[in-house]
Amino acid sequence: MRLLEGIEKSFDGRSVLRGVTLDLVPHGVTCLLGASGCGKSTILRIAAGLERADAGHVLTDPALSAIVFQDPRLLPWLTVEENLRLALPAFCPDAPDRIKSVLDMVQLSPRLLRSMPRELSGGMAQRVGVARALLRTPDILLMDEPFAALDAITRSKLQDMLLSVTGDRPCLFVTHDIHEAFRLARCICVMDRGVITEAFPSEDFSEPDRRAAVRRLILRHLNLKELDP
Amino acid sequence: MRFFHALIIPLALLAIWQAASLSGTVSPYLLPAPEQVLRSGITLVQSGVLGRHVAASLSRIAVGFSLSIALGFLCAGVLFRWPLLDKLLSGPFSFLRMTPPLALTPLLILWLGIEDATQIAIILLASFFPIYLNTRTGLGCLDSSFRELAASLHLSRTRRVLCFLIPAAIPSILTGLRLSFGYSWRALIAAELIAAGSGLGYMIMDAEQMQRADEVIVGILVIGVLGWLLDALFTRLASALLARRFPEVKEL
Repeated sequence: MRLLEGIEKSFDGRSVLRGVTLDLVPHGVTCLLGASGCGKSTILRIAAGLERADAGHVLTDPALSAIVFQDPRLLPWLTVEENLRLALPAFCPDAPDRIKSVLDMVQLSPRLLRSMPRELSGGMAQRVGVARALLRTPDILLMDEPFAALDAITRSKLQDMLLSVTGDRPCLFVTHDIHEAFRLARCICVMDRGVITEAFPSEDFSEPDRRAAVRRLILRHLNLKELDP
Repeated sequence: MRFFHALIIPLALLAIWQAASLSGTVSPYLLPAPEQVLRSGITLVQSGVLGRHVAASLSRIAVGFSLSIALGFLCAGVLFRWPLLDKLLSGPFSFLRMTPPLALTPLLILWLGIEDATQIAIILLASFFPIYLNTRTGLGCLDSSFRELAASLHLSRTRRVLCFLIPAAIPSILTGLRLSFGYSWRALIAAELIAAGSGLGYMIMDAEQMQRADEVIVGILVIGVLGWLLDALFTRLASALLARRFPEVKEL
């Protein structure tokens, strides 16, 4: 499914995105892979309606998407439950059931609902951030390097969790971690200096030999040398 | 423990005062002994005079401070919402803020008489600006990342105000309330010294004219202790109600 078409964006006269057209796989994760500053987060922000494109079209209504930020972004003065309720209408009779259901999905105990965000670990807080996005029952899930600040073990657990919750909906996942992209993506879009240079469907990297070849190709697209062949 | 620490210096001063009285180095006419002050205090309490004056001062504070809170919040909210109005009123507000309320007392007496209305107007003038300014600043404190979150959740304006803007302003609002209570308490007593027929300030002035230094000291001690207690009550209450959500309130 097409998410963006011909998107252009400049900041202070510096071109950040140059005619970006982006297609997502309809079920599962599409990873946008690129080095820091290549414009991948700007794409996500435009898709979420947080930034306006100079030219081009966003082909889905941003109100129907939900975004998970790099930090959990939980309001420190609200309990976990109150933070989650922000994603629901003000008057929502089935709120308790819906909250319980997403907590199951992100593998969090309902006992945490009364906790304050500062009482949670980084991994738990990010799970709450994902749960809040899922509560909006979005057509598209947008994720901006959500696990980048977590330790390797927690990151791995959250990647498993993400795979279990994104099976039936499109998800655009921004990352600069090639291993993460291989693990999560059904399609990897490689981005360099404001342009998507190549897209690799999962069939291209499902086997170890082909994965190594794709990895070399990606690194070449990003003008990087192989460090650990 | 903190309460006991706060008592150490006052008790030491009391001991020095007692020692000075016993040694006879200070005239009892200028500085009566602590037990004389205590006796006067008990008499004033038993006769109901002190209670009447305390009640008069507290009722004025309650009315004036409540009005100040309502007006301060209203102005901060309205001027935050309409920045043009904020710019238009910045000059008059700066003028009023820099004018000591007591300087307006003669005019207020002329307009409102020497009854409660003048004292309440002075409390309002003294306590409005700390509440208004701190609330206004607090409303602008919301982190840009939370603004972005509110936008991404497509929340209504009401929910943005109630869940984001006001909570972000709470620590600043509490500082404003605490500051303005201190200002209003002091301004009230000063106003009662100049123009009132009741209240703690009036009681001190009356005692001074009767050359009763002991009653003056009773008045001063009651004013200080009451102010201290009300301030402690405010911080304890704020901490008990809000510390879980706003840990910084503990440091007020």
